[in-house]
Amino acid sequence: MLTVDDLEIGFSTLHPLAGVDFSVARGEILGLVGESGSGKSMTAMSVMGLLPLIGGRVTRGSIRFEGEELTTLDEARYRRLRGGRIALITQNPMTSLDPMVRVGPQIDQGARLHLGLDARAARIRTVELMARMRIPDAARVYDLHPHQLSGGLRQRIVIAMALAGDPELLIADEPTTALDVIVQAQIVQLLVELVRERDLALMLITHDMGLVAQACDRVAVMYSGRIVESGPVAAIFEDPRHPYTRALIGCIPRPGMAEGTLAGIPGTVPSIADLPSGCRFHPRCPMAVAACRDRVPQTVAVAADHGVACLLAGAASGDAP
Amino acid sequence: MAKYAIRRLLALLPVFLVVTVIVFLLIHLVPGDPIDNLMRSGSDPAQRDALSRAYGLDRSLVEQYLAWMGHLVRGDLGTAIVQRRPVAELIGENIGYSLALGGLALAFSAIVGIVAGVTAASFQDRVADRALMSLALVGSTVPSFWLGLLMILFFAVQLGWVPVSGARHWTSVILPATTVGLAGMALVARVTRIAMIETARQDFVTLLHAKGVSRFTIQTRHLLRHALVPVLTLLSLRIGLIVGGSVTVEYVFARPGLGSLLIRAIGQRDYPVIQGSLLMLAIAVMLGTLVGDLLQAAMDPRQREDDRS
Repeated sequence: MLTVDDLEIGFSTLHPLAGVDFSVARGEILGLVGESGSGKSMTAMSVMGLLPLIGGRVTRGSIRFEGEELTTLDEARYRRLRGGRIALITQNPMTSLDPMVRVGPQIDQGARLHLGLDARAARIRTVELMARMRIPDAARVYDLHPHQLSGGLRQRIVIAMALAGDPELLIADEPTTALDVIVQAQIVQLLVELVRERDLALMLITHDMGLVAQACDRVAVMYSGRIVESGPVAAIFEDPRHPYTRALIGCIPRPGMAEGTLAGIPGTVPSIADLPSGCRFHPRCPMAVAACRDRVPQTVAVAADHGVACLLAGAASGDAP
Repeated sequence: MAKYAIRRLLALLPVFLVVTVIVFLLIHLVPGDPIDNLMRSGSDPAQRDALSRAYGLDRSLVEQYLAWMGHLVRGDLGTAIVQRRPVAELIGENIGYSLALGGLALAFSAIVGIVAGVTAASFQDRVADRALMSLALVGSTVPSFWLGLLMILFFAVQLGWVPVSGARHWTSVILPATTVGLAGMALVARVTRIAMIETARQDFVTLLHAKGVSRFTIQTRHLLRHALVPVLTLLSLRIGLIVGGSVTVEYVFARPGLGSLLIRAIGQRDYPVIQGSLLMLAIAVMLGTLVGDLLQAAMDPRQREDDRS
């Protein structure tokens, strides 16, 4: 449904994304994982066609949605796509709703724009949608303002807002990061249900490998503006080939883990103004060899639908040195 | 909302009381009194005392204040000492001119300011934005009396479009209103622009774009609404300055109005007229601010909530 190929974007002379490839199929949940600063949200903004809003542009590559090239699409047609066929769910439910407008009409807006409903029909649809989001007493909540609702409820409103225009592809940018653990689990479960019952495609952006294991079908691991490893969730967790993927999996806490054994990843994602040469992960990589400093690793297939961009990919399987 | 309005109105009562004290004391503490105006210097001291007694000026300040307040609560503003006419009548003759001037100045500040601010924000950092903001800077720094004189020279004397002074024709209000409103207009433009730009950076605006809402709708329906909140605050603060500015501008343009009435009365130390017209100006400021606050509360649901708790 969505295929991103060799995507590079630019902000004046800087390139936060430098050759990103991935795809999402209908009915599939793709996890896009990485630390803060790896370019996940930039990827979301690129697909939404909202880069100009933050001063960026696509400088290379293509984004195809149902066969249609989006990087060259004119604004009027892109606008019909946004909310109508591709929808966005943002991270912080506290700031994602207009504080001066009642929540119901904020959901209506999408249905009126993209489905051509009048005010009454949109309201009926919105209340149904809110009820489907398991918002109790939806008809009453419709008339409340955002500040009268809890974070979890607001995030359900944001999801309802995304679904209002009946989209086919959902992009959820860290939809649970700002919520407490119990609400997180409920929201993830809701998203998974919606994907299954409406046959949507979902691009779930997160930094949480645990969430990926729990909810996703496939995963693309992102580091410093590139996809370093991608494949089915089972394959990635059983046989992670990229040292960064392994490090991320090592960051998932498990019950019964001895104190002090939860691993972090030393160092930070490099700034896009000062990128390392060769493999961008080499300064933090425990397995880096001299060649990693000079050569940019190409993505190689290590199994069906499992690609890795690491010079040591062949050797770096589970029992590597 | 109605409850909130009534509570805010009641809260003005103590303010009003303090204002009456200040209005009363201000003029009584200035040297000289109305009798100086009525009698030539060197006239008979006994006659002087008689006049003083007749107007109650021989009594203590406290007694005079209480007497004035006593009449005031019954709606009586007293009688002018020099013109020997009821103060209410004098105010009635002049207040229309002042309301027209102040109202037009406020409307000019608000409408032109908001339009300029929205335009500047939608062309952020481009030529139109820079030009408008430079003009706004000039507008907010030029003293209004000087600007008034310049405008009289250009529009009234050179071009002859509007009358030089007075208030015989309705067009005569245009120049003074522009003069009084210009500084406020410039500030409103700057505040509108920056509020639009700041709001545009918020997450919910990104989501509006992501919903496929057009740029124009986002600007006019959503950003503008947010920008109006600080603009209303600014406008209700400007009301005081507009009232104050009208006083000098009425004088520059030789217009009738409360300002002209007040300035003449101050020269004559005509206590009842001074007190009455100052009180009117103070009430205008208080009511204007109240209306501004109420409008703001009506627009922003969060403010109503905060106040209820």
